Amino acid sequence: MRIKVLAFAGFREILGRECMVELKEDASVRGLLDELASGSPRFREAAFEPSGLLRDYVLLMVNRKRIDPEKDLFQSLSDGDELAIFPPLAGG
Amino acid sequence: MIEITDEALSLERMMQRARSSEVGAVVSFLGTVRDDGIEGMEVEAFRDAALAELEAIRQEAMSRFSLIAAEVAHRTGSLEVGESIVAIVCSAPHRDEAFSGCRYILEELKSRAPLWKKEISEKGGNWVEGHGR
Repeated sequence: MRIKVLAFAGFREILGRECMVELKEDASVRGLLDELASGSPRFREAAFEPSGLLRDYVLLMVNRKRIDPEKDLFQSLSDGDELAIFPPLAGG
Repeated sequence: MIEITDEALSLERMMQRARSSEVGAVVSFLGTVRDDGIEGMEVEAFRDAALAELEAIRQEAMSRFSLIAAEVAHRTGSLEVGESIVAIVCSAPHRDEAFSGCRYILEELKSRAPLWKKEISEKGGNWVEGHGR
């Protein structure tokens, strides 16, 4: 299946604004992040603690809805889903 | 009206739109780029998600504070020191509601709208640490 990834601020500088990622069926949000990390050591360092835990400043949206990484990181994705990844918000 | 734009913000036009015969108070807020030893700022938005969040915040403010009108505009792109980053205008029959609505929209925008700022100086660029989650 194919998932669209949108990245903003510091994550955009690493991943680019938008990319498509090919994943096996039923892959999770964590699986997608691992796939991105496998192709980019810079992203791995920015998004994950050395222990492999997701850093707490990584914010995620699936299909424009915020998800809680502590609870929803292993939720399954579906073909055509969109994941947005960004740091804490700093508008205004 | 909600707007996210690369163009300079016009507080005057926003205030004009917020006026009507029922209005007795128009309160505005303008956030500008402060010279903290920087040359300018770049502002980035998750545009569709930010527009939806700003509209939700606007609706909340309209109903909580019985506003007659609320306008929010946020800049994106490259800004120089002194330029406007965000403009908010609220109108109401009386000043208390207009002040409260304006403050509410600003604080909620800072914590909820997917927008980011990068300070540009001679040393390079530095993303402003965000607190909104």
